[in-house]
Amino acid sequence: MTMTHKVFSAALVASLLAFGASGAAAQDVIRIGAPLPLTGPLSPEGLKQQRGYDLWAETVNAAGGITVGDTTYPVEIVYVDYASNTPRAVQTAERLITEDRVNFLFSPFGSGAAKAASSVSERYGIPTVAATASSAEVYDQGYQYLFGTFTPNDTLTEPLSDIVTSANPDVKRVAILARNDLFPLAIAQEMEKSAQARDLEVVMFERYAIGTMDHSAAVTQMRAAQPDWVFATGYINDLILIRRQLADQGVDPAVITMIAGPAYREFIEAGGALAENVSSAAWWHPAVRYDGEDIFGTTENFNAAWEARYGGEADYAEASAAAAGAILQLAIEKAGTIEPSAVRDALASLDVETFYGHVRFGETGQITSLEPPVFQIQNSRPTVVFPEAIKQADFLFR
Amino acid sequence: MIYFQVLANGLILGGLYACIAVGFSLVWGVLNVINILHGTFVVLGAYVAWFAYAYFGIHPFVSVVIAGAILYVIGHAIQAGLINRVIAAPVLITLTLTFGLDLMLNNAMLVAFTADYRQVNLANPLPAIIIGPVFLPGDRVAAMVLAFLLTGLLWRTLRDSKIGRAIVAVRMDREAAALMGVPVARINAITFGIGALMAGAAGALLSIVYPISPINAPIFLGKAFIVCVIGGLGSVPGAMVGGIALGVVEAFGAFWFGPEHALTISFGLLLLLLFVRPGGILGKKGYE
Amino acid sequence: MKNWLILLAGTGVLALLPLLGDNYLMRLATMVAMYVILAQSWNFIGGLAGYPSFATAGFFGLGAYTSAVLQGMGVPLFASWGAGGLAAVIFSALVGGAILHLRGHYFAIASLVTVEVLREIVNTTPDITGGGMGLNLPIMRMTVAEHATFFFYSMLAVAFACMACAIVVHKSKLGFALRCIQQNEDAANILGVNAYLYKTIGFGFSAVFAGIAGAIYASWVHYIEPPDVFDVLISVKPLVMVLLGGLGTIFGPVIGAFILLTFEEFVWRTFLTVHAAALGVIIVALVLFLPNGVLSLTREKLGLRRRAAGEKR
Repeated sequence: MTMTHKVFSAALVASLLAFGASGAAAQDVIRIGAPLPLTGPLSPEGLKQQRGYDLWAETVNAAGGITVGDTTYPVEIVYVDYASNTPRAVQTAERLITEDRVNFLFSPFGSGAAKAASSVSERYGIPTVAATASSAEVYDQGYQYLFGTFTPNDTLTEPLSDIVTSANPDVKRVAILARNDLFPLAIAQEMEKSAQARDLEVVMFERYAIGTMDHSAAVTQMRAAQPDWVFATGYINDLILIRRQLADQGVDPAVITMIAGPAYREFIEAGGALAENVSSAAWWHPAVRYDGEDIFGTTENFNAAWEARYGGEADYAEASAAAAGAILQLAIEKAGTIEPSAVRDALASLDVETFYGHVRFGETGQITSLEPPVFQIQNSRPTVVFPEAIKQADFLFR
Repeated sequence: MIYFQVLANGLILGGLYACIAVGFSLVWGVLNVINILHGTFVVLGAYVAWFAYAYFGIHPFVSVVIAGAILYVIGHAIQAGLINRVIAAPVLITLTLTFGLDLMLNNAMLVAFTADYRQVNLANPLPAIIIGPVFLPGDRVAAMVLAFLLTGLLWRTLRDSKIGRAIVAVRMDREAAALMGVPVARINAITFGIGALMAGAAGALLSIVYPISPINAPIFLGKAFIVCVIGGLGSVPGAMVGGIALGVVEAFGAFWFGPEHALTISFGLLLLLLFVRPGGILGKKGYE
Repeated sequence: MKNWLILLAGTGVLALLPLLGDNYLMRLATMVAMYVILAQSWNFIGGLAGYPSFATAGFFGLGAYTSAVLQGMGVPLFASWGAGGLAAVIFSALVGGAILHLRGHYFAIASLVTVEVLREIVNTTPDITGGGMGLNLPIMRMTVAEHATFFFYSMLAVAFACMACAIVVHKSKLGFALRCIQQNEDAANILGVNAYLYKTIGFGFSAVFAGIAGAIYASWVHYIEPPDVFDVLISVKPLVMVLLGGLGTIFGPVIGAFILLTFEEFVWRTFLTVHAAALGVIIVALVLFLPNGVLSLTREKLGLRRRAAGEKR
């Protein structure tokens, strides 16, 4: 009995050690680790990020690679699925760094997981670019190696509030319904501040639990509060359901704003007619126009590359993932080495134009230089209504 | 009166909960199998309805039959081929088995259909029924009524048909039923098939209410679980009472204390009920 | 005596691991130690007494949050870990008093629900716990290797204490009483075994180490969120590990922890998006085709427990 136990344990220790010994390839490519939620609740988001990274990597390799000093390296992205489980994302980050010997890291999806995994890359001093983490709380730990391509949440709620209040002074009462989760809650709190700063009355502020199957009680409450503007946050599943239940109970305010979902074509397809006139804001939109120094060059070029590779238009999450790669590439080329701390310094001092927008990182590592557009679903398309320079249509009220 | 609206919300929600839970309850009560696959079965039923509507224009209410039939076949096969081999094992073993099967089936659906949310958007949705200050969304009400009809049909079948009585006999005492000449293995497979059928039918009804994705499966499973415990295992009326009770409590809890507390309140109620009446509202005493 | 030797030898060999200098291997080893703690903790109540508890995630999360909140208030590291364990024990005593009179399915459900309630409480008290926004822990200024080694030894030490405790309990009056309860609780009561007291103590043992493990885990990852530390999988995995290794045995949970982690790591590395299905195939195959591997040690005991619990079959 005990003998078999011992043999068994020995075999297992040996197998664990065998795992430990794998990896460690010779340095002729630049390897970038990408822990992604390819399965589990966040898998739609994970697949978007993967499309963005893939397009960047393919574009780079088609052009021969990244030029570092006088050599040129192709890039290789090492994907690992963390099954939408944050502890596993942290473990994945360490595995990519220590076993797969990646030179750089792309953060896992979303604010919570990006924040959790950043402690690992910080300890190893691996420059890490977060393509989908906007909440200021992600960057508040004083980390040196974490950089994010989304501006803080108030850069979405401020222009939204501006355009709504300036275009329709009758909008006075705001109802906010937020998913009790890092990013959706953080942006809802910013919305509350933006509303109060403009003397709008916040007539309702409620949180709902993750995995809520029914919003009818919140909607009933909302109906009683008679808002002119409904602001709901969550992920695409929550938002489709909330939009439907608003219609079910005849809640029909002048403005319905939802973050983050309406930018995705899945929201428009699943929402059908109900998606019309839903407004939102995001960090990027295919209608923006920049003339970048990065591998994609102009926004038009990026859109064309996307169209050729996947068909259709990229949404902001997909573009941000591609931009994360392009920005990292600019930093590596600027540093002239793949030595992590040099690339980190290059990232921190970056001040360039890209297809994605102007890129400059603030003190905390979060980008500060984007002007997120406001858009509204009109005729089944996300249509830019703000800022003036790239506006495609006027904001429509019910 | 706003309370009427809240009550209506709760009843409609409860009807759907009951429909999700009844198949789960049947399998748990009769086979003593906690079927982790149940949530995935519900989602599979919803996909059947979605594909039928998207490609053939079949109304999801009609697809209830198609989804039920497909799921019955799947359920029957799984029970006859796999679960029956370990049906005599303790509940933890069968639970582990269905957990493993669920990992496989759910992962297969994720690969086949992707996790992107889909929704049946009816070309001609039923109009809302407005009674004074109360809004009743037409399609939801219709789905709830159908859910009740189906559940009632199942209840009559269990009471009045030969197979139904055999199922009840197995539930009451497996050994005695076997001695009386009931083909227990076959009844097991039929029962599991019916459980899957009810899950598929519920999924088809839900397809017009909820976004469809494999990743919603655990949410449905969780609701089925709670409803079962509230109502009492293995009893069809129990699942109905449990479902409605949960729906109404969640609706009022969310209304009075805020939507973030709805879950806490229903869990609190569940704990309380377990102290007072561990067999569920309609459970028989001494049935542990 | 033999048990002690195995434990000392096993711990001694593992303690040499940092010499290899592989941080990822150390992370895996830290996780094995954590899994051992969780599985052995479950074994006190689930394996010995036959009460299928799903409360492990509750103890784990409560320990994590208690120590995180206390550290935020300036309490030193080790004291906060101890407090995490203490909070879990107190909670287990309170809850145990209420739910340990339930048996079988009903106890399982009630214990599962306590986890959900705890999670929702943490979710809805953002002023103390950060709620859905999660909670930061103080960052330790040490090198990568020091960090990995420190948490590995911490977790290993708790695992050792937990195993030592298991060896003592198995031989003690408490262990005997718990096994009596598993075999026939009513008879045990009649024979003068204070079943309620022993069950509550057993439940307390299943809480304390899980709470400390949660506290260490929180410090290890620096940032916790309610869905992560109150994850239902933290309740399910110990059960699977113990079933794999052998119910109610001393080293079964250790073997189960190794097997589970090895499987997880293997399928996760081999299959990018179908690793869940691959794990499912392995589980199904184990249950169906290798019943001796899984069941031989457990069938008899579980069978007895079921009859004792008086479940209707």
